[in-house]
Amino acid sequence: MDREYYLNLAKSGISFPIGPDLVLKEHVDHHEIMNDGVRLGRVVAEAAERYKTPLALPVMDLLLEKAMMLGAMGELTEAQIPTWHFSTCPTEEQVAKIRKGIEGPLSRRLQANVDAVRYIAKQTKLIPVGMSIGPFSLMTKLVSDPITPVYLAGMGVTGEDDEQVKMVETLMDLAVEMVLRLFKAQASAGAKVFFIAEPAANKVYISPKQMAEGSDVFERLALKFLRRIKAAMDEAGVDLFFHCCGELTNEMVQGFASLEPVVLSLGSSRVLWEDAKIVPDHIVLYGNLPSKKFYSDDLITIGDVGKACGEYVTKMRATGHPYILGTECDVLYVEGCEKTLMDKVMTITNYRSHSCGGQNSCGSCQTAK
Amino acid sequence: MTQMKELSDAIISGNRNKASEIVSAQLAAGVGAGEILQALTTGMDEVGRRFKNNEFYVPEVLIAARAMKTAMGLLEPALVAAGIKREHTIVIGTVKGDLHDIGKNLVAMMLKGANFEVVDLGVDVPTEKFIAAAQEHNADIVAMSALLTTTMPYMRETVNAIKNAGLSVKVMIGGAPVTQQYAYEIGATGYSADAASSVDLARKLCEK
Repeated sequence: MDREYYLNLAKSGISFPIGPDLVLKEHVDHHEIMNDGVRLGRVVAEAAERYKTPLALPVMDLLLEKAMMLGAMGELTEAQIPTWHFSTCPTEEQVAKIRKGIEGPLSRRLQANVDAVRYIAKQTKLIPVGMSIGPFSLMTKLVSDPITPVYLAGMGVTGEDDEQVKMVETLMDLAVEMVLRLFKAQASAGAKVFFIAEPAANKVYISPKQMAEGSDVFERLALKFLRRIKAAMDEAGVDLFFHCCGELTNEMVQGFASLEPVVLSLGSSRVLWEDAKIVPDHIVLYGNLPSKKFYSDDLITIGDVGKACGEYVTKMRATGHPYILGTECDVLYVEGCEKTLMDKVMTITNYRSHSCGGQNSCGSCQTAK
Repeated sequence: MTQMKELSDAIISGNRNKASEIVSAQLAAGVGAGEILQALTTGMDEVGRRFKNNEFYVPEVLIAARAMKTAMGLLEPALVAAGIKREHTIVIGTVKGDLHDIGKNLVAMMLKGANFEVVDLGVDVPTEKFIAAAQEHNADIVAMSALLTTTMPYMRETVNAIKNAGLSVKVMIGGAPVTQQYAYEIGATGYSADAASSVDLARKLCEK
């Protein structure tokens, strides 16, 4: 799609959360829905309509890719997979099995996600959005201690010198193949936008000190693989919605901006009106209300959310940077906190239509009540 | 520079080969295990200080902890022979339903570096396992981590179960969504905002 579309969307004053999980969990049989592409597609459409966004953002579950890769090895039970990690480099046989698995049929959940994209593309007027974890984050989920080998790689140690670095390099190669497989499946199903969630490419896993001292580790282990995916997206005419809610340095933000996403979504540790100075004006900034606190009225009240909406919009307007008000990440369902979560995300959705700026004192607020 | 200062510096820079070399040489020269341990702990304390001051980040802490672990492997027999025991034991884990382990691992490494005996139960740890481990190891502290808002409530359940079991163990909690206020609410003894502060907190709780 034309980049202008997203710039105009920002200009229109739209605001919406990333929150399909909240809508999904309203359905008592949500476990079944997650395995049924058509029903999942309906939920995604329901969420987009409720949040008044043309972008049909999918339900985020960043464990599915790991599960499919490890499942392909045929060595682990389903129950073992979530807590299982590589502590040494996968054997050639394991690599071959994983690669074959990636090329084969998708897991049930991942296929349902693809089918949901197809449903959105064929049955609605919404913009179908595909989704995957980013390759670096996927690698970190596969390895018991990813930080040490990444640091060693940052020191210039290669896979030939060190078994741990070899493990990371091998798994990065497999991770990017997994993401590309998912991208192609969702693009074929009609995705016009691909949402890459790369939360682990941050300063917990990659040392800012090492980067400041001249290491190219961020480029070599994170950006290089993302560029491969972006090249495939460009070829297919699919836009990148890039998301990283981890703690980042300016250099990391600029690195992500160099991928030329149409939308860049960042976590609440970033000050977006500061980031507006380092992100090119043709990239829409999205976010980044502290939605990880939304479950608790002690941490943030609905009034606070309304005030924050006003502050963010005012400060971003002052920068002149294209901006969509939203959340710092996917807003996850928390049992017992459903109402406050939904009230807060709807405050974001309704923010622009309220003359009071979400302060709970205008006609629109009364109508919403 | 003295060998002990060099040993502390090797830990700070995460140079495990250098640290091992010095520990082996000092043991061979008849230097007391306690003195060597002190140099290692001094190094990790400095790592913690730099981490708190944003001079070091998580990767630097992990590399230092790796050097510490290697050095401690060499030192351990000498510590046993000298009858030097760790005074306090901490049982640590990420609560049930939560598979995140980086924060928990960091805290465990910092605590080990500060010479606590650490029993790491891993991730997805149910209440019963925390209680059983605290009893088995006669722990001074149970430390719980949660990264998700969805798993955080499990801390309350565990704190209540520990109280109901009549254990006198102290409970410290941490993790991205956790706050001091939450610690008060659920009756935890202490809250730590980051891995380096967890050492200060654990020392304080063990003094009480």
